[in-house]
Order: sequence, then structure tokens, then C-alpha cells
Amino acid sequence: MIGWVIAAGQPVLVMAVAPLLIGWMRLVRARLEGRAGAGIGQPWRDLRKLVRKEPISPAGSGWLFVAAPPVLLATSLLIAAIVPLAATTSRLAGSADLIVVVGLLLLGTAALALAALDTGTAFGGMGASREMAIAALVEPTLLLSTFALSARAGSTSLSAIVTAGAGHAERLVSPASLLAAAALAIAVLAETGRMPVDNPATHLELTMVHEAMVLEYAGRDLALVELASAMRLTLLLGLLANLFLPWGVATTATWGAAAIGVVVLLGKLALLAGVLAAGEVLLAKLRLFRVPELLAGSFVLALLAVTASYVLA
Amino acid sequence: MTPAYTQVLYAACGVLLLSAVGVLWRRDLSALVRLLAVQGSALALVAAVQAAHTGSIELAVVAVIVAVLKAVVLPRILRRVLAREDQPREVRPLVNVAASLLAAGGLTLAAYAAARPLIRLDPTPASRAAPAALAVVLVAFFTLATRRRALSQIVAVLMVDNGIAAVAFLTAAGVPLIVELGVTADVLLAVLVLHILAGRLHASTGGTDLDDLRELRD
Amino acid sequence: MNLVVTGLGAAVSVSGVAAVAAVVLPPRWRPGVVGAGMTLAGCAGAVAGGWALAGRTGHAVLPALLPLGTARIDVDALSGWFLLLVGAVAALVGVYTAGYVGRSGTGASSRTALAALPLFVAAMLVVPAAGSVSTLLAAWELMALCSLLLVVAEHAHAGRRGAAVRAAGVWYAAMTQAGFVVILLGLVWLAAACGGESFAALRDAAATVPGTVRSGVFVLTAAGFAAKAGMVPLHPWLPRAHAEAPGHVSALMSAAMVSLGAYGIVRVGFDLLGGGPSWWWVLLASGGAVSALYGILQAAVAVDLKKLLAFSTAENTGLILLAIGAGGLFADVGQPALAALAVAAGLLHALNHAAFKTLLFFAAGSVVHATGSRDLDTLGGLSRRMPLTTAAFGVAALCAAALPPGNGFVSEWLLAQSLIHALPPASTLNAIAAPVAVGVVALTAGIGVVTYVKALGTGFLARPRGARAAGAREAGPVMVIAMALAAAGCVLLAVAPGLTTPGLARTVTIAMGAPARGLAGGTAGLALPGVAAVYAPMLIVAGLVVLGVGVAVVVRLVGRPRRRAIAWGCGNGPQSERTEYTATSFAEPLERIFDDVLRPEHDVDVTHYAESAYIVERVRFRRRVPDRVEAHLYGPVRAAADRAGRAARVLAAGSVHHYLAYGLVALLIVLVAGVIR
Repeated sequence: MIGWVIAAGQPVLVMAVAPLLIGWMRLVRARLEGRAGAGIGQPWRDLRKLVRKEPISPAGSGWLFVAAPPVLLATSLLIAAIVPLAATTSRLAGSADLIVVVGLLLLGTAALALAALDTGTAFGGMGASREMAIAALVEPTLLLSTFALSARAGSTSLSAIVTAGAGHAERLVSPASLLAAAALAIAVLAETGRMPVDNPATHLELTMVHEAMVLEYAGRDLALVELASAMRLTLLLGLLANLFLPWGVATTATWGAAAIGVVVLLGKLALLAGVLAAGEVLLAKLRLFRVPELLAGSFVLALLAVTASYVLA
Repeated sequence: MTPAYTQVLYAACGVLLLSAVGVLWRRDLSALVRLLAVQGSALALVAAVQAAHTGSIELAVVAVIVAVLKAVVLPRILRRVLAREDQPREVRPLVNVAASLLAAGGLTLAAYAAARPLIRLDPTPASRAAPAALAVVLVAFFTLATRRRALSQIVAVLMVDNGIAAVAFLTAAGVPLIVELGVTADVLLAVLVLHILAGRLHASTGGTDLDDLRELRD
Repeated sequence: MNLVVTGLGAAVSVSGVAAVAAVVLPPRWRPGVVGAGMTLAGCAGAVAGGWALAGRTGHAVLPALLPLGTARIDVDALSGWFLLLVGAVAALVGVYTAGYVGRSGTGASSRTALAALPLFVAAMLVVPAAGSVSTLLAAWELMALCSLLLVVAEHAHAGRRGAAVRAAGVWYAAMTQAGFVVILLGLVWLAAACGGESFAALRDAAATVPGTVRSGVFVLTAAGFAAKAGMVPLHPWLPRAHAEAPGHVSALMSAAMVSLGAYGIVRVGFDLLGGGPSWWWVLLASGGAVSALYGILQAAVAVDLKKLLAFSTAENTGLILLAIGAGGLFADVGQPALAALAVAAGLLHALNHAAFKTLLFFAAGSVVHATGSRDLDTLGGLSRRMPLTTAAFGVAALCAAALPPGNGFVSEWLLAQSLIHALPPASTLNAIAAPVAVGVVALTAGIGVVTYVKALGTGFLARPRGARAAGAREAGPVMVIAMALAAAGCVLLAVAPGLTTPGLARTVTIAMGAPARGLAGGTAGLALPGVAAVYAPMLIVAGLVVLGVGVAVVVRLVGRPRRRAIAWGCGNGPQSERTEYTATSFAEPLERIFDDVLRPEHDVDVTHYAESAYIVERVRFRRRVPDRVEAHLYGPVRAAADRAGRAARVLAAGSVHHYLAYGLVALLIVLVAGVIR
């Protein structure tokens, strides 16, 4: 029973929190830059406005353009039902592991890239081409970090990894764990299109990656894309937090533990997002062709993490 | 053998290796010098931890010397060299950065393979960390072979030395004090020579790109 | 005579009848009859394979069928796996052929081309069922000859196309015959050392054969089989032959024939030789890894749709060989359960690859049929003109890109699991190989997604960029039925991979002598209970469909109706099709990132007006990504062969007496050698 509640509740929680998290990051950023900021509820207000507007399809586009936003949101919701965010005891946790989650994320990216190509504009193609190139190079880091993490737990199942981490706190400060955390953090930045890989606030088409892909979306389509992107960020930050700081996650199927899990999760998300926002104030965007260097670096970190996991075990 | 000892030792070795990899990653020459200082500190930490673990006073003295020399003195000298550079970046390395990083990953695996018999011989926490030190030597050598600027080369030479010292600390609980002192003095001398050489090179060719030296032969 | 042998016999006889029918019937009837024959033969072969997978075995000895001795048929579960694969592909291709080749009686529907098709199928069915060296070699050679005839079916085309077909034929003939010769040498060497040529005799005696002979046999046969599988650097024939052959032939070759290379390696390396030292497998796995990466990189920058698919075949066989190599390595270092898991992943990937590659080549064939063009840069806009073909290609691309919930993901997931659980390492080699292999698989999967997003996005979506694409019409009903059947196969393998596990477990037990570690299947998916790893595709598909449709319905209910408008052109008004991203431009970032590996060639010619050097009249841009492996490895070999050929011209003086004298001398040398010995 409680397993089903968690499986259904986590997606709802993530959907509710994700825009607030974006609002929070914008607020932190604004304050650091000496502005007042719009308050953390602003992304929700934007979404409400967008849903009421009429969606527009570019001439010449087909059904894929219309289908991509729901597919993207569906992958995010499904991931939220599977991964251990507030609790490891989701009823669906047993149906997929970290590799599947990575695959589902990539499925969402690919759907959006296809929709961007379907618009038939140069900007859409440019964004899709860049986003896919980055996504392809992130993949090895993600899978090798998985490798390093699963070496610790003896399984690629996310619940098993998080449970094992919560049980053995001293393993979390081992070199393998720290290296994997660093590698995964870079991969998350690239995957969610944050600085220094992509600038989510850019207004110049030529420097855009993710924003160029969704340039043609309007109205409720855009609302879905924005919501799904915010959810992906929330999911990945929550996952990062739980993989390396697993304290507070409910590992037993009780209501009390789940409630504590939710509160702790919100705390971790606020903290990580705050750090990320502060970092974005200080960092400049990398040139597109310096991004592979960053990703090669994260790949080496992940490789070292794997090596360290058995050399220094 | 306490867990804390192992943890600190491994963390120090991790930093040692990461700073070597970082030299390949960064183009900014001042970042290279900072990384060298970080690596010097990590090396001193390795020596200090080993000294505390074995209770060797000799090793503790070495740790202090290493800390002063490699974390403070050498970086300071290099910063003075750097101050005269008009283009403080490694613009176009012979092997591009992404490929260098992948090569560093491969070299680390090779170091692990090479050090495996060593670990089997004496499976202590210290010798388990020896592959990291060996990897520092290999990665630094790779840097030496593929970077153009004189300063990158000096940093790489110093890192090779750091790696060798770390291997010594980890596998034999330290070389005799006198040998360590002798080697360090050698290296200091070498740095001073390179310092002067870089100065002369700068004065005669207007830059410190080592490829310019090839013209001397032609 | 049980059902296995009966099924196989039926398949071969039907193929023979179909081949004869292709020769005697008028052009109008040929495609239908040959297609029906292939479908029947394929179904019979698949049934035989299914029975073998259910645990039956089949033996038959047909004395005096082959000139050198008896033909032996010996079907076990390992044969059954590949019989099922080949049979299913052949059955689908049979349907497609009936709609694809046309009734002109020339090119792909000529007598020879159509008669060779069922023979090709029969040969491919006999290869995995063969129970002796001579039977295997005879079937292998028949398979090579038939496929060669099929590749050059359209050689009579005028102009560049015909020249390309002829070049593909020459490359394929040279490579496939060289491969045959090394397999022949290897197997005959083994048979001589073992003192018998039936597989049963080899299996019993192989353990007593000295190590050097075993290694020699393995290297020779593996090279030959890997050449057939299209492993880099033995691949140059593959992109040529698969691109130039007609669509149905590409599907047969790429999905079925190439898998038989993997079969040969598993049969000889594991079953007959009983495994071997680590270096064999490291060699094989590194070949597989290089081919996976190089293949997918070339596919990612390819502009020719069929060439893209061909390079993707090199990638997939690379992954299969990587899995087999990893299996051998694990077996040698004493991790038999893990080894079995890796080999199971490889075999499952062979089946999955066969399913989606058949569908991909069907869809590509339909596109070529409808537009006459394979150039992704000038296609586009097919999703409205050919919606069914686009849907078929979309399903296949999802599977081929190894994205969940496609079937390619299932086997890559299994492969990743087997590699990841290699820790803690049993040997130094393992400790290095496992992370590197995981990195290779991950990068291959990542670039695979780029490749198929490119193929689908620039080939089928947006607006047409060329007149041929603009005038495209949907494929005929027979071809659509074939595509629908193939798509159903992909979907079945994707959502219910658990159905394959009992047969897969038997197959792996034959090959490795140990069942795969805790590989459990059910209707829901795959599970590895020992390491708590589960993949439940049914749930994922259901979740995605329910959530996706739910979201779409909810937002549609609360929102306003959709409107069409021109796309954003920076205020410049409607943009023409020429500003769309093409396949070339889409792949440009990857091409630039992997510049050092691919070495693309760019030419920019700028022509100025005669009056002024500052005003540009015309800019011409040419880009080509040559196959570097081919240029550097085969260039010198070809040059040397050319020189040797020129030198040997001295011997050909034109006098008949000379030639007869050569024959006499050769005869004397043989006699003298015999006497001396």
C-alpha cells in the first residue's frame, strides 16, 4: 500500500516542487547580483499563463512536434515514480535500475530533438544537433559513474545503492565515492543544460542549445516542455543528493519515515539548487567546442572512480 | 592501522593524482602553478601521515621539508617566472585536451596494472595507494611530452619528482632522509637553471614556446 | 527423423523448388512465387530452430551428398538460436521481396537474382545446422556465392551507380573469398590435428591438441568469421555491399548473414575448442570495441541512408563480438556464470539486431523505391508522404538507438550488467578491460542515439529538401505488410524479452557449459536475482503510454485549439527548405569533436568575378569523410597486389605452349614433393 502511495506521490511531489526550485534558483541568483527577484512562485505563474495561451505549430511540421512535449513529461514522471527521492520503497523501484533511468532521460532528449528537427528551421536543427552531441558524450560518464557506485552496493538498482550508502556512511567519503560524485555532478550540469555547458537564460539564438530546440513551442506545448525540464533538473539534483548524501531517505515502509524523507529531500534540493545558482553567477559559459574537454574530464573522473573502487577498497 | 589513517592517506593520494590530471585539463599557466602547490601539500600530507603511522621522526622531518619546499618555495619561484609571461596560457598543446585526458585515464589503468604485483607482495593500505603515485609519474611524463610552454614543462618535471617521492613514501615507508634531501636539492637546482633558461629564452625569442628552439637547429 | 530435421529438410526443399521456379516462370509470376517460397522456407527453418531451442536435437547423415564425403546435420540449441534468427528474417524478407522487386524481369527481378535468393536462404539455414567441417564449408561457400550474385544484381545500371555496384561486388568477392580461405585453413588444420571432421569428433579431441595449434586455429577461423561479421578492420566490403545491394538483399545480409559470423566464433571458440587463453578473447573483444566505436562514428557522419545502416551493422556486430570476447575472458579467469551472462547478452543482441535491422532496411528500401535517392541531405518531409514507412523506421530507430523501451536496449542493458558485475576483478586484465568496455558501450550507445535521431529527423521529418522527396508516394501494400510484421517482431522482443530466456539459457549452456548467472525471465521482463537487477519493459511501456496520453488529454481539455503559423525566421518571413538543417550539418559537431579519428576532408572553392577580387561569384563546398582504416590498411595491400600482378604479366607471354609448359612444371613439382616426402 505505502509502496504504491510513494510511487504515485513522488511524481506529484516533483511536479509541484520543480517550478518552485527554478524560482528559488532565480531568486538566489537575483539576490547575488543585487536584484530583488520575482519570488519563487513566478515559474508557476508563468506556466499558468502559458497553459491558457493557444499552442502554435510551425507550417510543415508533423505529429512528432505535437507528441514530443507529452513524451518528455511522461519520461520525467515515470522516472520520478521509480527513483528513490523521499523513500527507497517505491512500489516501482524494482522495475528499473540506474541504467534504465539514464536511458529514459535520453529518450526524452531524443524526442525533443526530433521535434526540433521537425520544425524545419535552422535554429531547431542547430539546437537538436548540439544537444544530441552533448548528450552522447555525457553517456559514458553516466554509465561509468553507475559502475563505480554499483561496485559499492553490488547492484545497479538505485534503491540498493542508496540503502547501502545510508548503512555505511564511512564509505561515502572514500575517493571512489567523491570522484564519482564529481563526475556525476558535471554530467548533471551537461544533461540539464546549466552553466557552464549551456546558458538557460540566454536570448541570443546562436549561443543557445536547449532553448534553440524549443524555440518554436508556444502555449501549452511550451508549458509542458518547461515543466518537464524543471522536473528533470529536480530529479537529477535529488538523485545526486541521495546517491552521495543518503541520510534521511526513508528505507523502511512507514508513514513517519516517508514524511521525514519528504522534508529532508526538500532541504537537500534547496541546498543543492542554491549552490548551483551561486555557482552560475560566478561561472562563464564555455565555448561549445570546449564542452567536450569538460566532458572528457568528467569521464576520466568516473574512470578513476571505478579504478579507485577496487584499488583502494 | 586505523580507518582514519587509511582514509586520509587515500584522500591525499587522490588529490595527488587529480592535481596531475588537472594540469592536463587546465590551459591557464597560473592554474598550473596552483595545482603544483596543491600537489606539494598533498605529498607532504602523505609523508606526514606515513610518519605518524610508522612513528618515524626522520620521515616527519622530510614531511616538513617537503611542505615548505614543494608547497611554498617552488610555486613562488614559478609565479615570478609567470609574472614575466605576456601570454599566460597553453594555447595549442601537441595533443588536444580531451585526448590528453583520455590518455591520462589509460595511463592510470596502466599504472594500476604495473603496480599490481607490488600490492600482492605487501598488501598494506600504503602499497594499495602506490598505483596512484605511479600514475602521477606517468601522467606528468605525458604532460612533459605534449605541452609546449616552458612553464608547463617545469611544472611537469616537478610533478614527476613528486610522483617518485610519493612512490617511495608509500612502498618503502620513505627513502633515507639524505637521499630525499639530495634529490630535492637537485630538483631545486634544475628549477633554478630552467628559471634562468626561460628568462634567456624569453629575452632572445620573445616567448617561451619550446617549439621556437627547433629553429636553433635549422 | 524428428521435427527439427524435417523442418530443415522442408526449408531446403522449398528453397530448391523456389529457385527452379524463378528460372522457369515468366517474370510476372516470379517475385510472388519466390517470395512465398522464401517465406515458407524461413518459417520451416524458424520452426526447426524453435524446436531445437525447446531442447530437441536433430541429427542426419547424408552420405555421398558432397563430393568430399558425407554431409552431416547436427542441430543443438546453439544451432537452433541462429536457425530461428535466419528463418524469421528470411520469412519476413520473402514477403517484402514479393512487393519490392517489381516485375520488369531485369535487375533485382532477373532470373539469376531471384533464383539466388532462396538458395542464399537455404545456405544460411544449413550453416548453423552443419555438423561437420566439410558441410559447414560447403554451405558457407554457397552462401558467399549467392550473396555475391545478389549484391551485383543491379550492376547493369548506367553511370556512377553501376560503377559503385561493380566496385562493391569486387570488394565483397575479394574479402569474402579471403575469409573463406582462412576459415578453411583453420578448420582443416583442426580436423587434421583431431583426426576427424565431424564436430563431435573435434569436440572430443580438441582438448588434446597442442596449444599452438589451438591458437592458430582460433585466430584463423576468428579472422574469417569476423570478416563476415564486418568487424573493423575487416569491414570495407560491408558499407559498399550493403549500400549497393537492393533493399531486400541488404536486409538478408545485414540481419542474418552477418550474425552467422558470430555463430562461427561461438561454435569454434567455445563449443569445439572449449574456450582458450585470455589473449584470444582480449583480441576479439578489442576488435569488437574498435568496430563498435568506429562503426557508429562513421554511421553518425554518413549522409547515405543505407551506408549509415551498414556502418551501424558494423557497430552492432562489434558489440556482439565484444560481448563474446568478454564472455571468453570471464570464463578463462574463472567466472563461468558471468561469462555465460556476457555470451547470453551477445546472442540476444544478435537476435535483436536482426529484428530491427531487417525493419530498417525494409524502410530504407521503401524510401529508395519511392524517391530513388539514398541521400539524407536531399530527403526530408517523408513523414506526411509516407506515414507508414516513417512509423516503421521510427520503431526500428528507437530499437536501434538502444533507447528504452526498444529491444536494442534490452541486450545492451544485459551486456552492461555483465561487465559491471566483473568487480571485484578476478585478474588485472579484467580490472582494466571491464571499465574500458563499459565506456565503449556507453559512448557507442550515446552516438547511436545521435545517429538515429539524425536518420529519422533529417531523412523523414520537416519539409522535403529535394524534388524526389517531394514527389514520394507510400510503399505498396505488400511491402507495408512486411514492415508491419517486422515491426511486430521488434515490439515483441522489446516488451517481452523474457520469452527468449529459456531458449537463451539452453543455447548458452551448449556454448559455455554453464547456464547464465541467475538470468530469469518472465512475461514482465528480465531479472538477475543474484544482483537485484531488474528490467521490466512491459511496465515502462505501459507507464509511458498511460502518462503520455494522460498528459496530452489533460492539457488538450483545459487549453485552446491549435493553430498553424510560419516558423520564426528572425523577422525575415517564411524560410525556404534550404535553410533546414541537413544530415551533414546535424553531424557537424560530432565530426568536429572526433576530428582526429575521422579526418574529414573539406574543400572550399571560391570563384571571384574577373573584375574584382573582392566580389565572390560562386562558393563551392565539398565534404567527404573517407574511411581511414580502409585507406591506410588496404591501400598498401592493393598497391602491392597491383605491382605483383604487373610483374606476373611477364609470365603471360601469349603463347599456348608456354601455358601448357607451366602446367607440366607444376605437375612435376607436386610429384617431386610427394616423392621427397
